[in-house]
Amino acid sequence: MVEDTGKALRADAYRPVNVPEPVKVAEDDSGLPVAVGEKRRQAIATIEDRWRIDDEWWRAEPVTRLYYNVLLASGQRLVLYKDLATGGWYEQDY
Amino acid sequence: MRILCVLLAHFPWRCEVRRNPSLESRPAIVTYTSGSHRLVHDWSPGLEGLQRDMPLQQALARYGDAELLQADIPRYRAAFSEILDALEEKSPLVEGPEPGLVYIGVDGLHLIYPDDGALLQAVREAIPETFMPQIGIAGNKFLAYLAARRNPPGGHRILSGDDVIAFLKDLPCDVLPVLSKSRNRLHDFGMHTLGRIAALPPGPLQSQFGPEGKRIWELARGIDDTPLYPRFMERAIEESTVLSSVTVSLEAILVAMELLLVRVFANIARDGLGIRSLTLWTRTWSAENWERTIQFKEPAMEMRAAMSRIKRVLEDYPQPGPVEQVGIRVNRLGYPPGRQRNLFSELRAKDHLIEDIKQLELRLGNPQVYKVKEVEPWSRIPERRYALTPTGR
Repeated sequence: MVEDTGKALRADAYRPVNVPEPVKVAEDDSGLPVAVGEKRRQAIATIEDRWRIDDEWWRAEPVTRLYYNVLLASGQRLVLYKDLATGGWYEQDY
Repeated sequence: MRILCVLLAHFPWRCEVRRNPSLESRPAIVTYTSGSHRLVHDWSPGLEGLQRDMPLQQALARYGDAELLQADIPRYRAAFSEILDALEEKSPLVEGPEPGLVYIGVDGLHLIYPDDGALLQAVREAIPETFMPQIGIAGNKFLAYLAARRNPPGGHRILSGDDVIAFLKDLPCDVLPVLSKSRNRLHDFGMHTLGRIAALPPGPLQSQFGPEGKRIWELARGIDDTPLYPRFMERAIEESTVLSSVTVSLEAILVAMELLLVRVFANIARDGLGIRSLTLWTRTWSAENWERTIQFKEPAMEMRAAMSRIKRVLEDYPQPGPVEQVGIRVNRLGYPPGRQRNLFSELRAKDHLIEDIKQLELRLGNPQVYKVKEVEPWSRIPERRYALTPTGR
């Protein structure tokens, strides 16, 4: 039996799932994504879907995202979004 | 149920007479040794006042000229077993609660034996004449026993329903198979005969004697619902060997016992059986018997389990003298214990898993294993929907 170290479990022991990952996205003139990645850049063949989320507007940092469901030239599918508050791009399973 | 009781009075002594007919005319006491004491096992008819298990010294004080015979209990048991075997050919319901006493269920036997005379004849034929059986037939065990006991050796009595009250009326309350303390109290109350007891209502007896009062009252009226326990038909397994030379060495006896046990297991192992109960017995060069019965909580399925108990018993109960013959008699066999699966095995498994995870966390300091928990599954923001939470918290 291992002795109890007495170490309390911290609140940060809880970890969110599906946290968005920052990703480098190239945009065209109209702001639509055309390629993903920095070193291994992959072209986006098709934007299959697009939707917007505006939520938690009552908070100091409201959520405003524009999601894209894209098909890469390699055949891989990705869900990307642009944080409209910061302008950053993220990859996230939806 | 109609019961036939066969009483073979002085069974051990009659076994000795059967072996040596010249003993018949001489007073004799059959003795056995228990520790350092010599006790009375049986005696020849006519030696009044002797009791079983009384010290031999007391018996000799009364009958100093009696011939002393060393009890050969395994032989008595074998002789009794032979009688039971023979009686089982007459009726399948044969109970032998102790050597010299047999109960037989005789319901339905009238189809084979047209009357009681033919039945009695058949029973007598199964028992060697030496034993002079006393036979009683009645509606239950208690009455059948009393009917047998009130006969002279070789006699018989058949009790029908109408005769019961008259038969019991004058019998002393000492015949009741109840605590001797209760019998003494019956005498204290002046209830010396069964007729006096039967005349009472059951209430006063129950108030004085508790649950036994009801039984006393019922027995005094000839009511006995004790069932017949027919002999359990099980394979008789007995192995014995005569040692090449008499020995007091525990190791030598153990080796002999081990060899016998190998034979026993060879006999039963193919059926997947184990030993539930066995009796170890030895016989010394001076014809003294040593016997110990071992009960196994769970059937001993292999040598090692049985030998460890046998060794302990042999160490704890020393032999009365140099041993000439050793034997093992298997009393009861059994199948290996069934392991009942836990109805909540999944819960148990989960408990064990959580315990293991806690141990891991205590050792490594941080949560190591997480489970996915729904937080806001309805949320439009994907990272709000689920969270990883430490397992077991």
